[in-house]
Amino acid sequence: MAVIEVDHLTKRFTGLTAVDDVTFTVEQASVVGFLGPNGAGKTTTLRMLLGLVTPTSGTARINGRRYADIGEPLHVVGAALESSLAYPGRSARNHLRIAALAGGARPARVDELLDLVDLTGAADRRVGGFSLGMRQRLALATALLCDPEILILDEPANGLDPEGVHWLRTLLRDLASEGRTVLISSHILSEVAQTVDSVVILDHGRLVIQATLAELTAGGADLEDVFLALTAGHEVTR
Amino acid sequence: MTRLVRTELLKLATMRLTYGLLAVAAVLSALFSLLENNEAGTAGSGVPPISTADGLRTVTTVTGFAMLFAAVLGSIVANGEFRHSTATLTYLATPKRTRVLLAKVIASSCAGSLFGLVAGIIATGVGLAFAAGHGDHVALSAGTLVGHVGGAVAGAALLAAFGVAIGSLVRSQLATVIGIFVWAIIIESLIGGLYPSTRPYLPYTAATALAGTKLGGAAFGPAHGLNGAGPLPFVAGAALIAAFAAAAALIAARTTVRRDIT
Repeated sequence: MAVIEVDHLTKRFTGLTAVDDVTFTVEQASVVGFLGPNGAGKTTTLRMLLGLVTPTSGTARINGRRYADIGEPLHVVGAALESSLAYPGRSARNHLRIAALAGGARPARVDELLDLVDLTGAADRRVGGFSLGMRQRLALATALLCDPEILILDEPANGLDPEGVHWLRTLLRDLASEGRTVLISSHILSEVAQTVDSVVILDHGRLVIQATLAELTAGGADLEDVFLALTAGHEVTR
Repeated sequence: MTRLVRTELLKLATMRLTYGLLAVAAVLSALFSLLENNEAGTAGSGVPPISTADGLRTVTTVTGFAMLFAAVLGSIVANGEFRHSTATLTYLATPKRTRVLLAKVIASSCAGSLFGLVAGIIATGVGLAFAAGHGDHVALSAGTLVGHVGGAVAGAALLAAFGVAIGSLVRSQLATVIGIFVWAIIIESLIGGLYPSTRPYLPYTAATALAGTKLGGAAFGPAHGLNGAGPLPFVAGAALIAAFAAAAALIAARTTVRRDIT
């Protein structure tokens, strides 16, 4: 069953078509890599899916509904977007308290999530002093507050050190093993290659391919080469 | 809706800015109250002696600055979400954006009323202290004094709501903060000076009139001439400011609030 359905989605900003007639689906309990070079239209697509950006045409649905029509959306979808940062003057704990109240999560979830993302020690420090890696972990904690079935993560590995990337991979595998659906964007294939079941690749706002990893590497092709070739607009012999 | 308002109140309570603005409003109220008390009854100051009802009223209703700071807080509640990109999270939790706007109006009005209360108590306290110091009898009834404090609460709450609407229309924090002060102190003086009959209808002047400030006394200084114009009745004045706020909020809801969050 497809829990995310993106259908002929298009977004034109003045003088720029950021997303151009993109169609793809994400099956329940799958981990899908949403890939493409910087500026390919990944973030705009995700923001349309989450109701933050209005599509010029086409639809984006979660469980068959527009995001705005989901009652208690944070209980269904958890999103960590690159810029969904906390107010710099607030502590991590207060940031999560606000998100928990807004989303309708149990207050006890705040401490549980701080613990999960290893920020308990920094919980009462102001977020403005956090490193990029700490902010990413706080964003992940925010996304997980209401225990959603679907996770949408925009470049969650940005700013993480190798240890952090390893931690993220383990977390994603745990989440996937619990049967959650994860859509994770990245401009670096190797970050997600070990985690995802399938990929959706965008380039210049257009869908290049939706395929499983096995399909992409059929015939012994190197995944990295396939990705580079696809996003460079070359034909690939598979 | 209750949860949304509580969320906005928690946001306000966890911002140092809220306490900073309240502290500045309190200090300015005390300072201007002291200045007015010092000038009261001196030749050429335009402020009548504190022993008179008019004089005591002038010095106990110096609450306009607190109202402006309440408006500033309201505007920052709205456009601060864009300055720090927290709008993304806010709208992910509540995709119905007009509900967020309404919750911000309600929460900011609550916080704003606190500004009015603090300023009202300070101005009244300083005025009464001066009166006692001079050995004057208190020329205003307790009911009138309490009514003025209540008016300051109402005026500050309404201007905070107006501030949310302005902040929703204009995303630049600097522009709105400067705009609020320029409007209240310069533009209302200009319009009210050129067309005295408009004075009761100018929002800042009307808000301060709710608190018993002599009409235009906040924008033009207590020494200005009244030229015969009187303030609107309390309910009409409050309704006028509420209507300004509602109109601005409605325009925002139809335009800027719908914009893409990129």
